[in-house]
Amino acid sequence: MAINVNTVYTTVLSILNKEQRGYLTPFEFNQVATQVQLDIFEKFFQDYNQYIRMPQTDVEFASRMDHTMEEFQIFEKSANASNAPTTNEYTQPTDLHRFGSASWTVGTNSPPIEIISNKVYNQIKLSDLTQPSKNLPVAKYNQNKLTVFPDPGVYANTDVVFNYIRKPIDPVWNYTVGAVGQYVFDPVSNGVSKDFEISDSQQTEVILEILKYSGVIVRDAEITQAASTLIAKEENNSKQ
Amino acid sequence: MTKTAANIPITESDAQYYAGQYGPLKNSSGGNQTKWSFPDLNTVLISNYDSLAFGVQVRDTGNFTAHLLATSTTIPSLSNQIPSQNIIVTNTANNTIELKNINGSVIPNNQFIFLQLTDIARGDNWGSYSYLTLNDIINNFIVAYTGQDQILTRVKRTAVLFHARRAVQELSYDTLKSFKSQELTVPTGLSVPIPKDYVNYTRVAYADNNGVLHTIYPLNGLSGNPYELPIIDGKTGIPSQSSYGTNLEAAQSIIEDRWADANSNNITGDYDAYSTTGVFDYAWWKQAYGQRYGLDAEVSQTNGWFSINERTGTFSFSSGLVNRVIQLSYISDGLSYTLNSIIPKMIEEAMYAQILNRICLTRMDVDGGSKAFFKRDSYAKTRNAKIRLSNLKLDEIVQVFRGQSKWIKS
Repeated sequence: MAINVNTVYTTVLSILNKEQRGYLTPFEFNQVATQVQLDIFEKFFQDYNQYIRMPQTDVEFASRMDHTMEEFQIFEKSANASNAPTTNEYTQPTDLHRFGSASWTVGTNSPPIEIISNKVYNQIKLSDLTQPSKNLPVAKYNQNKLTVFPDPGVYANTDVVFNYIRKPIDPVWNYTVGAVGQYVFDPVSNGVSKDFEISDSQQTEVILEILKYSGVIVRDAEITQAASTLIAKEENNSKQ
Repeated sequence: MTKTAANIPITESDAQYYAGQYGPLKNSSGGNQTKWSFPDLNTVLISNYDSLAFGVQVRDTGNFTAHLLATSTTIPSLSNQIPSQNIIVTNTANNTIELKNINGSVIPNNQFIFLQLTDIARGDNWGSYSYLTLNDIINNFIVAYTGQDQILTRVKRTAVLFHARRAVQELSYDTLKSFKSQELTVPTGLSVPIPKDYVNYTRVAYADNNGVLHTIYPLNGLSGNPYELPIIDGKTGIPSQSSYGTNLEAAQSIIEDRWADANSNNITGDYDAYSTTGVFDYAWWKQAYGQRYGLDAEVSQTNGWFSINERTGTFSFSSGLVNRVIQLSYISDGLSYTLNSIIPKMIEEAMYAQILNRICLTRMDVDGGSKAFFKRDSYAKTRNAKIRLSNLKLDEIVQVFRGQSKWIKS
């Protein structure tokens, strides 16, 4: 479940305003929130890579690897090529952030496409035994396009299905101006404000990270220091 | 001929498998229906035409006919058969065909389509459950042996592909059943071309009037087929060259000509009632009367000889075999007509073991002990596969052993 953007903003303001340390405007908050969400989002993949190389457990709720995968599963999606191909070049979807795999619907039961470099392609096409076939296709991936072999001859954007991670939508704390000039939160249901897309299990980290950046904005090193310490502590705990 | 491999679990009904019939399928779309799918068939449908627009026939090896039936009980016949130029196959993955949208070919609402496989396609499909495809093997191997926490954590699909195809080739040479053969009549020129997908022969035999096969033997040095026929200067022994600097070649081999004209009785020692050459006659001591001398057991046979003439790319036969019907049995490498060849289920495990062994042998991250284990495992499973394919059945062995006490003349 997503993190409520208003909850985060009000919590951050509460902490910052304690002892009159400063104020974070909605514009500054939106900038920092976007940055923080991306930081945490990118860290999912680093963590996933680390956990996958550690001894695993299959006890329910205890697997860090599974937990991390759950964090980014909401961003995983499949889509066809974004162009109307006239050759065997298929353009990746416009919202692709991290490429996962691709499958070839031209083959029986949509086999996966093996992604290879130009060099490897030039090598495999020299051998009769490694020639790609309709059910064992290969592709070169460059310029945001997959060039698939063997060339099917007839092309449709549905030939290739991309499995990928899209980028999270930027959080927005939108407002209207109240009767005494105060900021009044414009609810997400109105369509302009956006919640954080990452899961609410990351709420504490989101707030701490925003506080870390906020300390820089309001020029209070103590806040940055305290937030960084807490983040580091949590990080150490999660990777023991 | 394209043998098929059945789906697991079996998707074909009895009518589809035994009779090669699919349908009748009713058009309930409310209008004309031009696209029809026949996904349950093992057979991949092949049409004689690739385009409905231009109507140019591209092959004569289509493997089905389609019929337009007015009712579900109408008998499919030539009169309701849809002309082959009005049918194309548009998707081989689920056997989708498209019909030309004209009267007599398109299926009107509430009428039926009926598909009939040809006899050849039906024969190719019979027995298909004993096979699976090479693609199945590759996909199964990747799922079961590669990936996180598996023996092979990260392996290229192309590598699996290469080693799987190599394994098929190797197993084709000495483990798989040799079922390829051609029936040929030896022409007066005494030579027939080597088959297109030939790798090695397993048996060459001629059929007598009862259809019983008699093995024909290779020349084994008795005569020869020279690879080059340079024209030699009679005095110096130096080959003559053309004005372009290449050796001049004779049109015909003298050795082959002489062999073609040879009287095989002179080689086999076959008995001639009017010639006593090579026979101890009455002038000799009585105890040797009627016996022969000078026979070489290796060549004392009357079935005939063959040789592989690499210069002309042909099988050549001895003159006594002219106009004889012969059966040339040979092996191929399993990949000659499709890279997705069919594999007997009996060797499935041997295939996995061979692929694993071959991949591990080429990898740096596999320790020597594991490599040795996989090698032994591969060897043992290949041997098991060979035993399985040898078809040793107890009753058949007993039948052979019944001749154990029979005296055999030497």
